[in-house]
Amino acid sequence: MSKKKAPYAMIAPYFILYLAFGLFPILFSLGVSFTSWDGIGEAAFVGLKNYKRVFTQDKFFYKSMLNTLILLAISTPIQIALGLFMATFLKDFFKKTRNGLQLINFLPYITTPVAVGIIFQLMFDWKSGVINAFLNLLGIESVYWLGNAWASRAVVIFMIVWKNYGYMMIMFLSGLAAISDELYEAAKIDGARWWDSFTKITIPLLRPIFIFVITTSVINGFKLFDEPQLLFNSVSQPIGGPDRAVMTVVMRFYEASFRSFEFGYGSALAYCLFLVIAAASLLLFKLIDRKKGE
Amino acid sequence: MSVRRKPVSTLVLRKLPVWIFMIVLSVCALLPFYMMVVMGTHYSEDLYTGVKLFFGKYFVQNFQTVMRQNFLLYYWNSILVAVCNTVGGLMVSALAGYAFAKFDFKGKAALFAMVVATLAIPQQLGLIGFVLEMRWLKLNNTLFPLIVSGMANAFGVFWMRQYIGGSVPDEIIESGRVDGCKEFGIFFRLVLPIIRPALITIFLLFFLWSWNSYMTPLVMISKEELYTIPLSIALISSEYRTDYAARILALSMGTIPILILFSFGSKYLIKGLVAGSVKG
Repeated sequence: MSKKKAPYAMIAPYFILYLAFGLFPILFSLGVSFTSWDGIGEAAFVGLKNYKRVFTQDKFFYKSMLNTLILLAISTPIQIALGLFMATFLKDFFKKTRNGLQLINFLPYITTPVAVGIIFQLMFDWKSGVINAFLNLLGIESVYWLGNAWASRAVVIFMIVWKNYGYMMIMFLSGLAAISDELYEAAKIDGARWWDSFTKITIPLLRPIFIFVITTSVINGFKLFDEPQLLFNSVSQPIGGPDRAVMTVVMRFYEASFRSFEFGYGSALAYCLFLVIAAASLLLFKLIDRKKGE
Repeated sequence: MSVRRKPVSTLVLRKLPVWIFMIVLSVCALLPFYMMVVMGTHYSEDLYTGVKLFFGKYFVQNFQTVMRQNFLLYYWNSILVAVCNTVGGLMVSALAGYAFAKFDFKGKAALFAMVVATLAIPQQLGLIGFVLEMRWLKLNNTLFPLIVSGMANAFGVFWMRQYIGGSVPDEIIESGRVDGCKEFGIFFRLVLPIIRPALITIFLLFFLWSWNSYMTPLVMISKEELYTIPLSIALISSEYRTDYAARILALSMGTIPILILFSFGSKYLIKGLVAGSVKG
């Protein structure tokens, strides 16, 4: 094959696969979102009715949006703080054991999300869970973690943080590696303590990493599904746990599409979710840009 | 070195909070795994009587129960799907990345912009369309949709382009041409060996995403003999309520081996994540 034609042959597999199994389904979903269809019978064109229903009639959509925002707003700062301290401590105080500790704290991130949901269900079990046993040991009464709205939110937040702080640690470690040691040496000579270097050098210079991890936290937060879904898998709770307190937007999408088989409405929900994520990312970038200007 | 050494006690005292932080977090990271492994070695009924902190003697019996439940078949399905999806995705990404990095062709900028634009699209957006498409092709309830799902991965192309652009010298490609190699021959024989580290990284990332994937199999597969590990873990957990301990052992068997494997490759995996994760 000639040098001219070869690159087209090389990118062809990607574009063919993407058109067939990526773009086509996305456009198909868009079409379906203007219909009322259970996927088997006749599809009836209903125009924008599904979208209207998302924003004006579906109280679970707003509830799931609110839940997602609550979970995001609490878990994001915690996991970022833990990851940041973990990374700086590893770099400054644990040079010899760094690789081992890094791996241990990274394991939760690569564990199958489905399994994470079930493990936490076991640990927070009212009767046989280790968490309540530990509380009893301290003289605190057992908490019905998975039966109460705010308690189950706390469990989900704990679970998100447990899973993600190792990832944050990895990101911050990569950022720290780019900061020159000379800066710290110079600060030390000027009499700076560890905390001074941390707040005056480390944090400002890690700015790009902060932007990256906040953005990914928000985007991934909106996609949350596997873990909370499995947390309430077998404890005879409705989708989303008690009072639907941890029903995320993707769970609402799953319920409408694949439990009630409202394919038209489900597709509309998916597009609304996409719009929300896009709007949130845009807003974040705007905020970051404005801060840069200051 | 500092001239005045501080007394040891104050040094220890100052480092103490750091140590406590590190120990508490590391224990928290490992505790769920430990509890899972321990609980799988007890007799089911005993699990309700109180918390088990140490290993029990019921491992063999639980193991036999798990083995009676098609567990190896689920493993095989997961491996088959993950390997095909990953190797396919890897080849697709590397080829496209190479073309974007080392060739000049008409429409290159526009085509690459299209790749980048798809980076931000969540997978759920096309899920219903994908299910309908597969039903229409009569390929639902096969492993095919799981294998091709995400095979055209924009992140893979993007990453490969960056890596190849920075690590493969143009002279090597030219010398291949001078020697009369065909363009694809140059790619397979000269370029692939050079980019081995990138291939390992992308292999691990794609494998992880495929192995952990839950929603696509959940909506696509209803035949039990086609279950993957995440699907079987999720569904076993609600179906086999009678044998609680066996179900927990199955959970360990479905997660721990893969974690150990990934621990060996964690350096490569971390490289890939650091390069700018957009998924997962």
